[in-house]
Amino acid sequence: MSSAAHAKTAARAWIGAEQRVGFRAARAILALNLLGTVFSVGQIFVVARMLSGQFTALLVAAFVALAFGRAGLAYATERLAFGVGAAARRRLRTDIMTRLLAAGPALLRTRHSAELTAIVVDRVEAVDGLFSRYIPASVFAIGGPALVLIAVVWFDRWSALVLLGCGLLVPVAMAAAGIGAAAATRGQFLAMERLQTRFLDRIRGIATIVLYGRSEDEAQRLAEAADELRVRTMRVLRVAFLSSAALDLAAALALVSVAIHFFAGGGDLPTGLFVLLLVPEFFAPLRAFSAAYQDRLHATGAAEALADVPPMPRPTPPVDFSTVAAQGIEVVFEDVRFRWDPTRGPALDGLSFHVMPGEMLVLAGPSGAGKSTIIEMLLGFIRPDSGRIVINGADIVPQALSRLTAWIGQRPVLFAGTIRDNIRFARPEATDADIDAAAAAARVTDFAADLPAGLDTPVGEGGFGLSGGQAQRVAIARAFLKDAPLLLLDEPTAHLDPSTEADVLESLKRLAVGRTTIMASHSAAAHAFGGRRLDIREGRVA
Amino acid sequence: MTGDLLRILGLWRRQGGWLLAGAIVSLAALASAVSLMAYGAMALAGIVGVPPILRVLGSGRVILRYAERMVTHTAMFRALSDVRVWLFRRLAVGSAGGLGFRRAGDLLTRLVGDVEALDGLYLRILVPLAGALLLVPVVTWGAGVVVGGLFALAAFVLPGLAARASRDAGDTLARAAGGLRIAALDALTGLREVRAFAAESRMLALVQAREATLLGAQRALAGRIALAGAVAFLCGQAALLAALSRGEIVGVFLVVAGFEAIGGLSRAGALLGHAAAAAHRVLEAADAPIPVPDPASPAPMPAGTSLRFEGIGFRWLPDRPPVFDGLSLDIPQGARVALLGPSGIGKSSLAALALKVAAPDSGRVLLGEVDIATLPSAEVRARIGWLSQATHLFDDTIRTNLLLARPDATDAELWDALEAARIADVVRGLPEGLETWVGVGGARFSGGQGRRLALARALLSRAPILILDEPCAGLDAETERAFLTTLNDTAEGRTVVLITHRLVGVERLDRIFRLSGGKAVAAAG
Repeated sequence: MSSAAHAKTAARAWIGAEQRVGFRAARAILALNLLGTVFSVGQIFVVARMLSGQFTALLVAAFVALAFGRAGLAYATERLAFGVGAAARRRLRTDIMTRLLAAGPALLRTRHSAELTAIVVDRVEAVDGLFSRYIPASVFAIGGPALVLIAVVWFDRWSALVLLGCGLLVPVAMAAAGIGAAAATRGQFLAMERLQTRFLDRIRGIATIVLYGRSEDEAQRLAEAADELRVRTMRVLRVAFLSSAALDLAAALALVSVAIHFFAGGGDLPTGLFVLLLVPEFFAPLRAFSAAYQDRLHATGAAEALADVPPMPRPTPPVDFSTVAAQGIEVVFEDVRFRWDPTRGPALDGLSFHVMPGEMLVLAGPSGAGKSTIIEMLLGFIRPDSGRIVINGADIVPQALSRLTAWIGQRPVLFAGTIRDNIRFARPEATDADIDAAAAAARVTDFAADLPAGLDTPVGEGGFGLSGGQAQRVAIARAFLKDAPLLLLDEPTAHLDPSTEADVLESLKRLAVGRTTIMASHSAAAHAFGGRRLDIREGRVA
Repeated sequence: MTGDLLRILGLWRRQGGWLLAGAIVSLAALASAVSLMAYGAMALAGIVGVPPILRVLGSGRVILRYAERMVTHTAMFRALSDVRVWLFRRLAVGSAGGLGFRRAGDLLTRLVGDVEALDGLYLRILVPLAGALLLVPVVTWGAGVVVGGLFALAAFVLPGLAARASRDAGDTLARAAGGLRIAALDALTGLREVRAFAAESRMLALVQAREATLLGAQRALAGRIALAGAVAFLCGQAALLAALSRGEIVGVFLVVAGFEAIGGLSRAGALLGHAAAAAHRVLEAADAPIPVPDPASPAPMPAGTSLRFEGIGFRWLPDRPPVFDGLSLDIPQGARVALLGPSGIGKSSLAALALKVAAPDSGRVLLGEVDIATLPSAEVRARIGWLSQATHLFDDTIRTNLLLARPDATDAELWDALEAARIADVVRGLPEGLETWVGVGGARFSGGQGRRLALARALLSRAPILILDEPCAGLDAETERAFLTTLNDTAEGRTVVLITHRLVGVERLDRIFRLSGGKAVAAAG
């Protein structure tokens, strides 16, 4: 409850700050809108004369000029509004993406990558209306009717008073409706997110679903999730529709009052028509505001997710490692403790060890002993709860670490693109010859020769067309290409058969020459690989 | 383009009642609005006095408009969720072998974004078009043939022109949106790789570049829409001027009401290209060829569960080397068989053939002495439990993941399976036990633990044949031996096919085959 309240406060603060930025950007839109109202009032004046029987060439010319003026203004306003919304989205998306990338891999322990993607893509898209429609409309909702009112006061004070009264009813009704809608929209976004996460996860595992014969059950559950989405969306929309019904009633009330006033009072026809035709013009900005109010609600829902993205970590002072490569890397763990989750036991429980420059250390122990945790700590994905990790006499700094280390994990992620692109990922400035050499060293070339386009074969989600072993060799090629002084290997041969494993270990042995290497593995062949063996049990040296 | 949209309309049949009700309420709301304007104008012109019907129409209009919005939106959302579920079912038919080159991010865009883009089809095009058909004679009667012609132009011709002009923009937009989603998903799924290779700024630049493409496509489409809106507005102004020149107040008011009702159609026309592109992508995903279609009149399922491969020739793609070349293999009912061979030799392909994920180029696979080509694939798969290298753990609880294999399993059966897979102790140690969330692809567990959860699920299934593809990958030597010993007892009476690159010596086996040169060779058992 308190965390929900906190999210709400954070979201409100976020929207407030963004609105201040948005108002500045919206000034030009407002100016065009107000000019549009002036043109409309002028045109209605012309139409009222024409309807009273004065169909002169001058009036026709004025009508046509004003019509073109209004069309041009509407077009320009739309283009301008798009630009304002696009600029805001560009700024927000860069900000969010930067923060997510800075927060790093630890995020994936608690959040689904689909959920994070939805924030970067959909949530940012959802705030567009706040900038391109809601903020300009919220100012125009006061300025536009005020301009119309000035014109009406000029001709008929009583009608002006009626319009003002009906106009003031509108924000009252909308505010009453808006409170409920803000609560409902949060639920709607939760449901939408659940639906999206479910889709992506079920699609990733669609083969497993089909082979267990459960696709019909999953389709049913998907239908339920979609139903939930519909019910929640309608809950939000009902409130929005009610508020525009209130607007319709206020407009009808104003129209009838003004009409009866003129029929009873017998005012002159052109003035009566002019004022009557101005009634819809008076309510048009309010109508636009009512329609845009949904954009504000969408933004509120999105703001909670956006405010929830971790802030930028404090920048750490740069450390000069320029002489490191010549001397090699020395790694020391001093009484390191770490828990992934407070409800579970410690992953590392007072671990200490020492690796000399150029040494090969094999971390051994059953799965769950903490081997991977050590590797992730050396990669800077996570920091110790207590204790120190010292590299060449200095406490580790994540930014410097990524320059120093090459890493091969248990399950490499292959990105959309060719095998060559995926290898180049390790060092973007590498030449094609560098990549060919790395691919040959990691034996990627062996299987790439059988692929339709060799190294230029595209690989899909999770690396289709490549077996687990082949994907792993692409990861090894990345490490070859990066050529870093500290090599971290996390079960690199877990999924390979003995002969491939021997080949890969041979490649790794060549890769390890002249580098400090730490390998987590429980494979017997890897242990025969050489180097010092360190047995880890329950987060401690056994 | 229209063909795709018509097919989507066909999918909405089930919601026909709701859709029709929405259209009727919408027409009623329109009729009341237009009558209100006409009566008001007549009263103003002194043709009639202020009739009492004005009051009824006034309040009726407000209520009908509210009802219109509620009913049409409900109808639309119902139709859209039907399309989503239909698409999932279609994808499931062809996806037993995984997603292949289709990207999950791209598919997500299809399911969520593209299906949503179809909402304009009903709300902003079909319903207003129905209204426009009703209005053409009314406007012509009230304001003359010239104005009626201008009205028809704005209602029917301009939206069509706008649709044609922005067809490519819509297609580009859909692709650009998919591109951005894939870039973001890649960077965030690969956060480990990104950090390890200090690729943060590169990934950010890629996302920004994809965003720029998307914004460019959106800007182009927004420009077309704004232009369509401006042209439609000018058309309305011309009609208004024509009506004014006749000097009849009723005609003028009808023109105002009529053009207000169709004001959004030209803009919607510009969006039609977007909707058509979305429809095309949805259908394209749904129409992907099925690798192994079911026979038209399947043979009855055999009682026996022996599995026999006869002279199998197979390659995954025509330009790839053959995996099998005259392979024959006999696995009697209840036998325990090991298939040995290095990775990439085709051990998993054998399972794929047995599961009807792929069909052999030559030869037959027989289940209980019946060619499985003549059997329905769902039934064949129900007889075979498969633990593959790519078995997926869903981002859900341990319980839900296990129940996938046997929805009616009791807690005791779940624990037995966990026990057999040597993971029960770990699960028991979790504060939430079976209700523990496993994370993306089992990310909250170590690789070995996730593998054992998948194994427990495979053991839980009631299938009489179990094909276990490297069940011990990611297990340490001690756990591996313990698991294989357990397997000897737990799978009593079932056929077990153990696909592995080596034996550790504790397995109780009837036959051992080695795969080599596209054939199976009996090895010493």
